[in-house]
Order: sequence, then structure tokens, then C-alpha cells
Amino acid sequence: MAHIALSSSRSYDNRRAQPSYRRSVLLPLAFLLPTIVVLLILQVYPAIYAMFLSTTRLRRGVAEPMELRNYERLFQTPSFLDGLGHTATYALSFLFITVVVGMFLALLLNRRIRFTGFYLVILFIPWVLSDVVAGTMWRWLFQPQYGILQEWLYQVFPALDAVYTDQTGSMVIVILASAWQALAYTTILSLGALQTVPNEIIESAALDGANRFQRFFGIILPIIRPTLLVMILLVSIRAINSVGLIYATTGGGPGRATQTASIYLLITGWRQGEFGLGAAVSVVLLVVNIALTLFYLTLIGRKRE
Amino acid sequence: MVTGRWTRRFDVVFTHAALAIFAAAALFPVLYTLMTSFKTGESVITSPPTFLPREWSLEGYQTVLESDMIRYYLPNTILNSVVSALIVVVLAALAAYTFSRYKFRGSRVLELGILAVMMIPGLTFVIPYYRMASDLDLLGSGQFIMAVYVAWGLPFAIWIIRSFIDSIPIELEEAALIDGANPLQALRLVVLPLAMPGLVAAFLLVFVDTWNEFLFAVVLLTGNARTATVGLYDFQSQFEIAYHVWTAACIVIMTPALIVFLALRKRFFEALLQGAVKG
Repeated sequence: MAHIALSSSRSYDNRRAQPSYRRSVLLPLAFLLPTIVVLLILQVYPAIYAMFLSTTRLRRGVAEPMELRNYERLFQTPSFLDGLGHTATYALSFLFITVVVGMFLALLLNRRIRFTGFYLVILFIPWVLSDVVAGTMWRWLFQPQYGILQEWLYQVFPALDAVYTDQTGSMVIVILASAWQALAYTTILSLGALQTVPNEIIESAALDGANRFQRFFGIILPIIRPTLLVMILLVSIRAINSVGLIYATTGGGPGRATQTASIYLLITGWRQGEFGLGAAVSVVLLVVNIALTLFYLTLIGRKRE
Repeated sequence: MVTGRWTRRFDVVFTHAALAIFAAAALFPVLYTLMTSFKTGESVITSPPTFLPREWSLEGYQTVLESDMIRYYLPNTILNSVVSALIVVVLAALAAYTFSRYKFRGSRVLELGILAVMMIPGLTFVIPYYRMASDLDLLGSGQFIMAVYVAWGLPFAIWIIRSFIDSIPIELEEAALIDGANPLQALRLVVLPLAMPGLVAAFLLVFVDTWNEFLFAVVLLTGNARTATVGLYDFQSQFEIAYHVWTAACIVIMTPALIVFLALRKRFFEALLQGAVKG
């Protein structure tokens, strides 16, 4: 009954001969100018400024040129290299959980059953929370003495008596919290993809005797593959740049157990005032993002031919 | 059908059970936070913890009410969110209208460029924003961060409003122009009233994003200019073991965002599906 209609785009054909006033260049320019100015100053300039800062060092308020020495230093710093490792662990686990569970939930929500709209709204609540609210909640759930999940866990597995202060345990908490927050996102994107698959194809495959798994892996998955790859790209980027939730949940601790490259950037670049080094980290991460984007885009493009 | 009646019935039960379990898991941390916020300062540090409060109390909320959260942080958050969302909607409406109705040399490139800006992660900007704000002597003031929020909301808002303006028939404006209106009047009197649902949606979505924003706020704001999310973070050290206070603050901060989401859920889903929300 409550089958969710997810997109409602209607648009009229406005591509006709333009009346005389539309040929004016001044009006569109005036309308666009404020937007262009704001974006140039606060999006384009800072991105370039980050690259410039990464080649400098601040000494008594003056930026000293450093050429590429910040990068050399960065790649000789164990805590940054560990941070990259933590980013990889965190991002891959996060990606795996959100994509697999999100697809599972989307398959369930795509069935003709009642209350799907209701489930979707409930699943979405974590997504609407601020990173710091979500982080505070998870920190409280696993508080070593009074956290309720910690207490329940301890009663079942007495060995797990201090997850929050454990090296591996804290990473697990951070991954779970992030997946919990972002699950709705992969669910709705998967659901959107599933709804593009024509029902007749699936029904005729069912009539031909294909079972559920054959239908999913043989028919549905190849159709939604491009959409799915875009989703995986967006989630990967989100994972690599994730910072607020980790910072609010563990602050990178205990020790440096959950200090990903992004948290390293925040602590070194901002809290310790090593702007050059911090900017270098952001450039490294930006390069990783761009490389990932290009990688997925070629994957998507290859299949289409 | 190939599947029998009983298989079908089992299927429905299984589907509901699985969805209910995940819905409960999504809700559990929020509910536990809500329950904790009604506990007393004493019971919150009693071991073993209970899910429901042993006695219900508003102690946590009282502390939040008397803290800087109500005096400074929430008013700052409201001001930042309302002002930046308003500016975003005005600028985005002009830009969206232009992109929808005028085709000029480079308009397509410009539009794609604005959307491409949305792909740059926020993390890249932490250090440059911090340096820019401190060079301008605006560190710790609300003005700089409001400008930042405007820049971050704009591409997304342009995209939403544009899809609304695209759906308004161009004949309506042309009729107004033939009747002697100038293009600005046509925009103000004909197009914008019809695009109002889009303007409201863009306003609320930018509002929620700004309301929840933490990364830039924690880096750029100090003292009494701090917003609610930064204030909540500081509560973790300020009220070290007063978990009823932390959780009460969580509830206070999340409620407005949740209400907007519930009212606007369809737009929210649409926006996410188009991949237009900056992660």
C-alpha cells in the first residue's frame, strides 16, 4: 500500500526561441554575481589557499616558504602514517556495513508491504542528528562504568569489560556509530536504484524459475550497478573525510587508536597550530578523494560501453 | 506465482521482523538518551545502569536552562541558521531563475562548476578558513561563519530551487511581460510566488544543515559566539559525569532539526536521491 514514490519531477519544455529581453547579458550577470562572488571567496579561494599554506610554515605570524618539506615531514611522521592506516580500517568497515546492510534494508522496503514509509522515517532519525549529538550518545552508551551497552555486553561477555578504553574496542564503537548514522543514506539510495528496475523483468525471471538470489545477482544487480557505484563513491568520500562524529565520540583516543588522518589534521593543524602541516594533510586527502572519484568514474564508464 | 501462500506469509512476517529490528536499533540510542535526560544526577552514576529512570526528574534540563546553552549558544545557533538560510534562499533564487531561463555563453559550464564545488569535502577548508578568519580578525565572531554557511548552502539551494522554477510554465512570465512588467517584477510577482514551496524547502534544509554543523563551528568559534553543537561538546568536559545534563542538551539540540525533518521528509528523500547533499 504505502509504496513510496521517491521522485516527482515534472518539467515543461522551456527551450524555445528566446524573447528579446532574454538576450540581455546584463540581467543574468547581475543575478549571478552575488553567488559567484561568494563561491569564489569562500570555496574556490580557500581550496587554493590550502595548497599554498601546505608549502609554508608560520613563524612569528609570517608565512615562511617550505616548498615540499611539509609533505616530506608528514610522510616521516608515524602518527600520520598510523592515521592513514586507521582511515583505511575505518573507511572500509564503514563502507562494507553501510552498503551491505543498506541494500538488505532497501530490498525489504521495496517489497509490497505496509508501513514502509514509517520504517524509512524511523531509520532516518540518526541521519538528521548533528555529528556531535550522535557522538555524545554513543560515548554515553559505552561509558565504562555507567554506559548501558557496555553493561549489557559485560554481562554476556565478561572479557569485554572496557570497550571504550580499548584500542580495538574504541575503533569498533566509532565504526558502529558512523554506520548507524549513515545507514539511512545507503538505504534510500539503494531503494531509489531498486525502483528503477522494471517489475516485469523480475516477474518474468521468477516465472522462469529463478530464485531470489539468482534474481538479485543475475538481474537486479547488473541493472543498478552504475547507480550503486555512484553510491559507493559518495559513501567512500564521506568515510575518508569523516571527522565530526569521531572527534565527538572518542576525540581520536584512547591514545591514538581512533586517530584517523582527518582527526590528525584537526589536532595537528588546528589545535597545535601547525597550519602548514595540517594544510598538507588536507591536500593529501583531497588528492585521495579525486583519485577515488576518477577510479569509480572509469569503472562506471567502462561497463556502459 | 511460483511462491505458495505460506511462503508468502512467512515472507511478510520476516520482512516486518527484520525492519522492526533495524528500526529499533536506529531508535535505541535516541531513546536511551531521552530516558537518561530524565534521570537525576545521582541515579545517572549508579551501577548497574537501568534503561528507564528510577525516578523521573527534570534536573538535567534545569541545568541546561541555567547554562550558557540557553543564554548564548542556542540564540547564536538560531541567529546563524536563520540569517544564513535567508541569504542563501535570496541569492539562490536569483541564480536558479537565471540558470532556468537564460541561456548564455558559458552558462552550462558555470552551473556545472557550482555543482562541482559541492564535491570538495569540508575538511579541506578547515585550515584555510581558520587562517582567513584570523587574518581578518574575525576569529570567534559569528559573521565569518555565517558567510561560510552561505557559501556551503548555496550550490545545494540553487539546485533545489531550480528544479521548482523549471516546472513553472514560461508563458506565465511572458504574459506578465507583455502586460508591461519588467523582468524583475515578473520574477518577484509571478515566478517566486509559484516557486514558494521550493524556497521554503531550500530554507529549511539549509537551516537544518547549519543548525547541526559542528566541524567549522568548533574550529572558528570561541567564547560567547559558540553555537549549540560546540556548547554540547564543551559540556563533555564542563559537566564531566553529569550525563543527565549532556543528554538533556542532546535532546534540546536535536528536537528542532527532527521536527523540520518530519515535516519535510519527502523533500529530504528527494534531495538525497539526487545526490545533492554534501557529505
